[in-house]
Amino acid sequence: MSAVALALALLVAFGLFGRQAWRLYRIVRAGKPVARTDDLPARARAEAVVVVGQSKLLQRLGPGLMHAVIFWGFIVLFPTIVIAMIGAVDRHATLPWLGAQGWYALLVDVFAVGVLAGVIAAYAIRLVQRPKRFARSHLGEANLILAWIAGIVISLLLWHSSQIALGLNDFPSQWAPVSSLISSIWHGDWVTALERFAVWAHVLLILGFLVYLPYSKHLHILVAAINVFFTRTERRGRLEPVDFEQPEADVRFGAATSRDLTWKQLLDTMSCTECGRCQDACPAYNTGKELSPKLLIMALRDQVRAQSTAALVPNAITDNVVWDCVTCGACVQECPVGIEHIDHIVDLRRNLVMVESRFPEEAGTMLRDVDRASNPWGKPQADRTAWADGLDVRVLQPGEPPPEVLFWVGCAPAFDERAKQGARSTAKLLKQAGVDFAILGPREACTGDPARRMGDEYTYQRLARQNVETLNQAKVTRIVTTCPHCFNTIGNEYTDFGGRYEVVHHTQFLAELVREGKLEPAAGGRKITYHDSCYLARHNDVLSAPRELASATGQAVEMPRSGRRTFCCGAGGARMWMEERRGRPINEERVREAAATGADTLAVACPFCTVMLDDGVRNTGTKMQVIDLASLLHEAVERRNATGQS
Amino acid sequence: MTVLVLVEDGEPSQQTLTLARTWSDSLHSVRMDAVTPFAPDAIAAIVQRAADALSAAAVFAAGTDRGNDVMARVAARTGLPFAANCIAATAGEVVEVTRQRWGGSLLEKSLMMTVRPLLTTAPYAFRAAEGFTTIAVDVQRYIDELDPKDLVVRVAEHIDPPGGGVSLAEAKVVVSGGRGVGSKEGFAIIEELAGLLGGRVGCSRVVTSAGWRPHSDQVGQTGTKISPDLYIACGISGATQHMAGCKGAKKILAINADPQAPIMSLADYSVVGDLKEVVPAISAEIRKRR
Amino acid sequence: MKILVCVKRVPFTGGKMVLAADSRSLETRHLGFTISPHEECGVEEAVRIIEASGGESVVVTLGPPEAVEQLRDAMALGIDRAIHLQTDGDEWDGEATADAITAAIRAEEASGQFDLIFFGNESADACGFQVGLRVAYALGRPCVTGLKGVKLEGSSVRCEQDTGAGRDVYVVPLPAVVTVKEGLNLPRYPSVPGRMRAARKPVSMQTPARPEQSLNLEELSVPGGPGRQTKLLGHGGAAAPAVVEMLRDIGVA
Repeated sequence: MSAVALALALLVAFGLFGRQAWRLYRIVRAGKPVARTDDLPARARAEAVVVVGQSKLLQRLGPGLMHAVIFWGFIVLFPTIVIAMIGAVDRHATLPWLGAQGWYALLVDVFAVGVLAGVIAAYAIRLVQRPKRFARSHLGEANLILAWIAGIVISLLLWHSSQIALGLNDFPSQWAPVSSLISSIWHGDWVTALERFAVWAHVLLILGFLVYLPYSKHLHILVAAINVFFTRTERRGRLEPVDFEQPEADVRFGAATSRDLTWKQLLDTMSCTECGRCQDACPAYNTGKELSPKLLIMALRDQVRAQSTAALVPNAITDNVVWDCVTCGACVQECPVGIEHIDHIVDLRRNLVMVESRFPEEAGTMLRDVDRASNPWGKPQADRTAWADGLDVRVLQPGEPPPEVLFWVGCAPAFDERAKQGARSTAKLLKQAGVDFAILGPREACTGDPARRMGDEYTYQRLARQNVETLNQAKVTRIVTTCPHCFNTIGNEYTDFGGRYEVVHHTQFLAELVREGKLEPAAGGRKITYHDSCYLARHNDVLSAPRELASATGQAVEMPRSGRRTFCCGAGGARMWMEERRGRPINEERVREAAATGADTLAVACPFCTVMLDDGVRNTGTKMQVIDLASLLHEAVERRNATGQS
Repeated sequence: MTVLVLVEDGEPSQQTLTLARTWSDSLHSVRMDAVTPFAPDAIAAIVQRAADALSAAAVFAAGTDRGNDVMARVAARTGLPFAANCIAATAGEVVEVTRQRWGGSLLEKSLMMTVRPLLTTAPYAFRAAEGFTTIAVDVQRYIDELDPKDLVVRVAEHIDPPGGGVSLAEAKVVVSGGRGVGSKEGFAIIEELAGLLGGRVGCSRVVTSAGWRPHSDQVGQTGTKISPDLYIACGISGATQHMAGCKGAKKILAINADPQAPIMSLADYSVVGDLKEVVPAISAEIRKRR
Repeated sequence: MKILVCVKRVPFTGGKMVLAADSRSLETRHLGFTISPHEECGVEEAVRIIEASGGESVVVTLGPPEAVEQLRDAMALGIDRAIHLQTDGDEWDGEATADAITAAIRAEEASGQFDLIFFGNESADACGFQVGLRVAYALGRPCVTGLKGVKLEGSSVRCEQDTGAGRDVYVVPLPAVVTVKEGLNLPRYPSVPGRMRAARKPVSMQTPARPEQSLNLEELSVPGGPGRQTKLLGHGGAAAPAVVEMLRDIGVA
């Protein structure tokens, strides 16, 4: 009788679950291709660290521990599902071996209580603390799920305790202190009924949960682990290239509708739990703009679930949301379930720019200039060496032997007055250290990064191919650059176009020269706070070299948001060429954070950060000097030279 | 030797007469408004016949929109070569002309093989002399004999400029903003300074392409060419395309963060600095002194 | 509706003109190239008209082999096909250019007349101000120049010319020739499918012989300019008093 009931329950539950799971599976399988099955060891590592180790969640200790305990509880308690099903059919039977183990009973007891505590903590966070990150998340659903989890655990404890009271336990009761303690209050005949009720309640709650999962946002319990497995394992700053070589109908010009998303992007939408960690870290959201990475993914999910063929922009997502993004990657860094928001934003931009020709009009000037003049300022290429006037920098001519290291200057240092200083200091230091280097001069073209981050992949690829050809013909093997965007593009993205070079950022190169004793700085009295560029720290893990330089030149202090959790200057994602019409200026927000450290010097390692933060300092009237680390190092080396001579 | 000059009101025609005078003392003239409303083909027909009747050695006009238009029509009718926007032309069997390219950013020296060169002179490119006397050609008989097809292209209507006030081309002071202004909203400080000086707001090509200002505000080779008493260029690098439009200014003040920007050596006065700081400071200073 | 647009390949110059060693052309080694700005507006206008009323648009250029890039640019914006009158890179004067284009039009019109032909008011580089008018005369069609407004009205075209003090309006019957100026419209940013399709659109190539020129280029030079001596008035906001002094000196404040 019980066996038939259980079989029926299982049939119904798996039937309902299977139907929805199959539907979702088919949606994902219909996704566009993307290569995410290489490098299995790295994927296994990500799984171990991010999923099992809960590393991203534990970046926030309180809510992280809460979630980790519930998550680990689920793993520990998993076999109890089978044990309970056996118990539901035959109260005297249990899972061979494990059902009789004292240590396992202890684990179950401990984690059952842990999960309950986690649920209470979760309620406390949601109902009492109410952090902003939950704004517009589906809170009712979350509350229901939490209650459900509590029900599963409570029914388990009830079952175990009533088993102990009735002497039905196969495990030694002294190993289950909590259940034993509860069992002491069960007296009377009805305990027999309680035992039956509890085990069936437990089984049915679990089966109900299984059915509810694929219809709710708690699908993440199943999908997140898969999604994390398929995240980028290397070259995090790299975007997937578009293949323009195929027939036009087959080219994927980004995403116009939900049908254009890759299977990984579809998994992304199914993994989101609306926790809002992305939104909390987002520079656009935090300065009052329309973009919330969380709401972006939720909007995409709704379109995917409805299998809508309507244009994503502006039906589900506004144009403003698409253009607010600075591609800083803070959302990706925070996301515990491996959602890669930048890919979504870039795909929406690709469609708007490449197919619809629709974008903030001021950026059109940049796109045309990059295309026609090979730099975003529309300056003559012949003027590419003007920044180095008087420095006697070698311009590599065609056919000449390559230098030991090629100094890739970048457009901003070549053409922007403020950005120039970092490049000049770098060149002076390289000369002083006796490094054999040269620049390409007029043969250097924009890497294409601003066009690519705007969504104009076509123009980007043309420039990428042109630069790779120039670099390969010049037999360049090692490149140093002051621009993190060039650094990321040449190092992470040119490999897709046949360009393989060792690319180092000038802070890394200079720190190495200091370590080798080829440059000897003397620290001065500056109090320095270093602003991590997103494309250095977050996208490329360049963290220590800039800090070595900051410490070698003055007294270094950290901002609250630093390292991989830095806060963008506002220029990434081609925002350098767009107006910031919505919300508060990002650069000013960052400058205020820097000023709060009491530093007199805001050290930067990126020409865009230099310009943005310098503007921020001026606009807020802050007393702080924005200066590239190379210039700080040059100053410190001069200081040593001066004292050495005296 | 006789030359024919097509004249209209204003300095460019004085300048044209100055050049024509280097060819001959016998200056004959046809007025651009001989036929009203303006009909360029009709004027070209009149010029063609008058030049033939006079056996003119050359025909001159000012390199204005209408001057170049009518002269090109004369060239097309007669098959004669036409050199636009000249700053010099020497008479002879082979005519040597120096003319402007790239809106005046470059000069071309060319040899013209012709019996009757058609030349227009670049406005404001050289100093005009005064007090010329010309013999007005009696054009009535040519008008009477006009072919109706030469009246097909004719002004049918005139639309007055919206808003009124002085046009950009005629303003005494023009305050222009370029890429450095950064945004549509950024033009508030430019407008403020222009207002204080009783001038007009101008801009560079980048600004109109970005949609921050209408094309009618654009100063440059492909925009409006201006000749104010003072031109203030804020955050404008000074590309040749832009300088072609403002080089007629009597004085140029350049405000730019980049001391190496080309405009900083093409201007009469310069201020190195962020225009967002400098322009409001100048406005405040003007107010203070009032 | 059948429309022709004539364009010219010109370099994308920056802050200064640098001449080639022989002083007969610009040093263009490190310069990008583009369609002359006025003509770019002509292309956009032609595309808009065809989009609205249907028909065919054709672009023609007289220029070196590389000028095919500008033809592709025009086709990327939506022009249907191109005619390339290829030269060996030597410059052609206005008369010779007009003759070659006229011949190409006559050949092309064997299969249907162009209702409207667009030229730029003048090319950005040579600034000759004449090719459009010469072609119009040769074809015996009315021509209005320097337009910032072109509107089809049945079998005629309404042309608006900016005079600096308002606009003069001309209405001429089709077929007609118009020369336009920048400001006529804001050319769109070409879509990538458009750019990809442009690579496959047909370009018919002809190599007309360069006739004797009546305007022979001897040499180019960079003008000395008005010879302005730049006086630095100061740095940043601190320069304001010096600026106002100067404004008073020259009598504008």
